[in-house]
Amino acid sequence: MEVLKTLLLQMFYVLIFPGFLFCFVFGMFLSGIDRKMVARMQRRIGPPITQPFYDFFKLVGKDHIIPRKASKKAFLLAPIFGLISIVIISVFIPIFGFNFQGSTADIIVILYLITIPALSLVFGGSSSGSAYASIGISREMVTMLSYELPLVMILLSIGKKAGAAINGNVTFSLADIGKYQSLYGIIISKWALIPAAIAFLLIIPAEVGTVPFDVAEAETEICEGPLVEYSGLYLGIYKLTQAVKMFVMGSLFIALFFGGSGFSNIFLNIILMIIGVIITIVISVSFVRSILGRLKVEQTLKFFWTVPTALSAISLILVYLKY
Amino acid sequence: MLDKIIEKSRIKSPWIYHINAGSCNGCDIELIALLGPRFDVERFGVKLTGTPKHADIVFVTGPVTAQTKDRMLRVISQVPDPKVIVSLGSCPMSCNVFKGSYSVVGPLEKWVPVDVSIGGCAPKPEAIIDGLIKALDILKEKRGVK
Repeated sequence: MEVLKTLLLQMFYVLIFPGFLFCFVFGMFLSGIDRKMVARMQRRIGPPITQPFYDFFKLVGKDHIIPRKASKKAFLLAPIFGLISIVIISVFIPIFGFNFQGSTADIIVILYLITIPALSLVFGGSSSGSAYASIGISREMVTMLSYELPLVMILLSIGKKAGAAINGNVTFSLADIGKYQSLYGIIISKWALIPAAIAFLLIIPAEVGTVPFDVAEAETEICEGPLVEYSGLYLGIYKLTQAVKMFVMGSLFIALFFGGSGFSNIFLNIILMIIGVIITIVISVSFVRSILGRLKVEQTLKFFWTVPTALSAISLILVYLKY
Repeated sequence: MLDKIIEKSRIKSPWIYHINAGSCNGCDIELIALLGPRFDVERFGVKLTGTPKHADIVFVTGPVTAQTKDRMLRVISQVPDPKVIVSLGSCPMSCNVFKGSYSVVGPLEKWVPVDVSIGGCAPKPEAIIDGLIKALDILKEKRGVK
């Protein structure tokens, strides 16, 4: 009986609340808010907030074409793997002290899982057999290479800061980071970690793949890169993955820098987190997207290995010097 | 239930693809200018896609030249159903001033079924938006493959 109850609870976590259904609805709304905000910043009226839902359901109802040169199984399975891994990440992120999956090293699991959507883009693109896709996947890998290093350094500096106070070691548990924040105040209030927060905000657009760093999906130069041969439902799954990724990165930012115990009521906490995620995404994605053009591949790599890496290195050094 | 949602979504999110079949670039500029702040067709959910496989509505500009004909047919055949083909400007309708040229094999109707024709050289933005809305009505009629 106890086993069945745990199983049902896990199913609920993965499929309904922080998992698939919530991610689907809120990720789509977040993507719609992003498009609306960009339109308003450019003095346009813009699409309705529900636009990503229309896009997704239209793509579900459309025909899909599989190219003759493609290897069929990898081509069709790659988007599904990407979606599953990004939905699973959302189960690991706590909502203001409420942990769905308590574990000792969930940051490492998140670090591994967060590369899988990008890898699924690489697998799907390379199995489609298109020349544009092969250029796109090489660019996608360069982007991945450029944001991974600062991301790991940010997580390491937060882990050191929280772990030094909790058990004297580097911690890789989001639960411990949450506990630290409820005891000693939110992490953004520690001035040594403000550079890390700025670096994280710069990483979100590259992770999600929006304009200044969307070299892999440049629709004007290489016809949307790895997505060039996708159509119908499978393209819709990629668009959904991108929307959910935006939500996951936003909530990871909130959990890392603005976490803590929050209110005692879980519903108030969820609303607080949703507002936080919306503000984060508007600042780091929409605002940057509406004022900048696309960078080149080398410029992306150079930018990430100088500015965010330097910022996160400053945080790491300051934290190790016990500031 | 799902069919109804899909039916509604289809007219709310037309993604357009644009083929230049030997156009002078005038109509192309007019089409891109529609996405700017003044006319902003993104409020209907229009998005300019980079590849024909994502598109719902195909805009063809230019009198179909002998060089571009085969390529244009190949690109149009890659657009998944349901799709609507719109001829933009006077050139694909009647070959305009290029009629009778040795290198022009138009008009467009000779090669593909055209759903909406927008006249003008170049068409007014209001005319293009009108054609787009007519194309949406036709898209509603067409039943897709599920």
